[in-house]
Amino acid sequence: MILEFKRSEPLSLGVELELQLVNTRDWNLTRGASDLLAAVKKAKHPGEIKPEITESMIEISTGICRGYADVHAELVALREVLSAAAARLNLGIAGGGTHPFQKWSERRIYDTPRFKHVSELYGYLAKQFTVFGQHVHIGVRSGDEAVRLAQGLARYTPHFIALSASSPFSLGVDTQFDSSRLNVVNAFPLAGIMPTVGDWQDFEHYFDSMRAYGIVESMKDFYWDIRPKPEYGTVEIRVFDTPLAVDRAAQLAAYAQALAAALTEDRAWRPDARLPLVYSYNRFQACRFGFAATLVDPATQQHAALAEEVVATIGRVMPYAERTGGGAALAALMEMATARTNDARMLRDVLEQRGGLPDVVRFACAQWRGS
Amino acid sequence: MPELAFLPNWPPLANNLFWIGALLAVGVACGEAVRRVLRLPRITGYAAAGLALGPGGLGLIDRPVLEDLGVFADVAVGLVLFELGQRLDLAWLRRTPALALMGVAESLGAAALVFFTLHYYFDLVPLAAGVAAAIAVSTSPAALMRVAADLRAEGQVTERALIITAINGVLAFLALTVLIPWLHFEYRGGWLTMITHPLYLLGGSAALAVVAGWLTLRLAGLIGKSPERQFIAVIAMVVMTVGIAIALKCSVLLALLGMGALVRNADREHHLVVVDSGNAGQLFYVCLFVISGASLDLALLATAGAAGLAFVLVRFAGKAVGVLALAPLVGLEWRKGVLLATALAPMSGLAVVLVHQTAALYPEIRASVAPVVLAAVVILELAGPVATQFALRRAGEAEEGA
Repeated sequence: MILEFKRSEPLSLGVELELQLVNTRDWNLTRGASDLLAAVKKAKHPGEIKPEITESMIEISTGICRGYADVHAELVALREVLSAAAARLNLGIAGGGTHPFQKWSERRIYDTPRFKHVSELYGYLAKQFTVFGQHVHIGVRSGDEAVRLAQGLARYTPHFIALSASSPFSLGVDTQFDSSRLNVVNAFPLAGIMPTVGDWQDFEHYFDSMRAYGIVESMKDFYWDIRPKPEYGTVEIRVFDTPLAVDRAAQLAAYAQALAAALTEDRAWRPDARLPLVYSYNRFQACRFGFAATLVDPATQQHAALAEEVVATIGRVMPYAERTGGGAALAALMEMATARTNDARMLRDVLEQRGGLPDVVRFACAQWRGS
Repeated sequence: MPELAFLPNWPPLANNLFWIGALLAVGVACGEAVRRVLRLPRITGYAAAGLALGPGGLGLIDRPVLEDLGVFADVAVGLVLFELGQRLDLAWLRRTPALALMGVAESLGAAALVFFTLHYYFDLVPLAAGVAAAIAVSTSPAALMRVAADLRAEGQVTERALIITAINGVLAFLALTVLIPWLHFEYRGGWLTMITHPLYLLGGSAALAVVAGWLTLRLAGLIGKSPERQFIAVIAMVVMTVGIAIALKCSVLLALLGMGALVRNADREHHLVVVDSGNAGQLFYVCLFVISGASLDLALLATAGAAGLAFVLVRFAGKAVGVLALAPLVGLEWRKGVLLATALAPMSGLAVVLVHQTAALYPEIRASVAPVVLAAVVILELAGPVATQFALRRAGEAEEGA
């Protein structure tokens, strides 16, 4: 079977954010998606507001954007529409990759055939999958380009993880991870790095064999960190935790876009073929330690501090970011890496000061509202 | 001294402790049976058990046992009102004034229709009809909260039903307080009593609420954010406040509702974690509903059944009109409005307490208002929770299989 790859404007951007719906009484996740969707049905806004697999989750997505400014403006507009509706319904909305103390067994599957199917297939994994990520889409002209870009970006997975990490707590405890969310994603059979293929034709062969085995039905069954998305004509990065605020979400998109520009335009950025050997180790380091992680370079076998690597990389891609108005966004990320602080760190500080995980969620809601 | 004096008398006399335990056991079994076989709310089963074993049924439990159990029930009432007060989220009402308005409108709707029906069709004097109308405003917080908790219901119908129930409680109290001077006048009370009694009731209960709420927050701050220990602190403060309210002849309803509302809205430091009354709480609730069931008087259905039924129906109609009139303003579709009004059907213990309190001031109430309201309570004690369960399920807010 031929997987048709839709051509799109190179380096165009799209962002999806999965958000938490909580009650404002004990700050646990609540059943609110269908009520909230009904409440925003008539509101005018860019992009889309969609249900996700459980009733405690909602997804917003921008339209096709050109750069940081577009993404930021659309996310702010979406946030305002949602916040107004949520205030009327007395619901709280929060970013963050996990809810700090929800029990996954209490979650309810949103009522659509696909979600019910996934729930039956994966059993408790489906409910445990109540985690919240940011997806960034980057436009490419062809499937071949998508394969190359996906493999090139994989080198920077640890950066994406440390910059977005916002899931230190899970099931009521500090997991010691900056991003515990990815541990949940790992449980799926087709998670992690995409297998190495040469071009789009190779990828189609791979996909066909997986279908012939009966292992997958569609691209949706691949839970890779970075994957081609033929129906959108994009490469989709899925390792980000949903940040606490839209500003950070837009900054992360700008970083991904600048990296993609460098990878497509400059041969010096081509990834090392040995990357898959160290991928899982580096990814674990970033999840566990955030900016304090130590990464292995597949080419040199040198160990380096992740924070320093992020700062250096941002410096190198800065010229690409400035072309699309993302300079200030990248400067903000660089400042974070220099200070070695991220959302996970912020949440831990709140817990230390306030003493309760409900306080952490209340704080996350305030961060999301931008107040 | 006889040789075998260590043996009990024969037959041994079962004491109250035995009966309390037995009643709880039967109640909890009955609740499960009703849920599994009939798919009805557990609390309907508890009430049915009480009714079957109580003075109105087999007569196995007599007054002294009921009085002993009453302590548990008082704790349950305190907890329920305190929890309900915590639902009174003033920030939400400020953001959506239409919701507060809906609470007022459906209270007025129920009161007006009950007043006219009882006055014009059942020939109650205006004062008696007024008292009944004020009581009709109240919704059973215990029934609503227990059904919602049992179904693990969450969503807009559930949340709004709960906050409206809290509004109902406050308005019913205010309406009855306003009627007090009139009651005193009819009963030839002096001017001083007419003026100071409602003021004392209102001011005293409110002051008690503020002091108790403030102390609860201080205590919670001292204890730290441990849900287990805060639960004990909350029970302690609730029981104490119920006790003081009774001792000072203040309103338990207003004091506990106010205390809950205060800790919800004035907890700037967020000292109090929301404690789930959990397994320990369940014990009190089973007692509460078993006792409510045991106090039902089925004979009333024969004497005042028609008026009671009319009361139930027009009260529902009034609430439905009020809810539906404001539904568009709060963004509630018509169907969910009907379900919300249906969820508000229960009326039980709170109404009984209000009847008896008013009757203490004006004994004639016992003959005119009490039979009608208590007959309505007989109907709603059993049918109310069923209506709430139906509404929350239909709204899609109950958990599957719960």
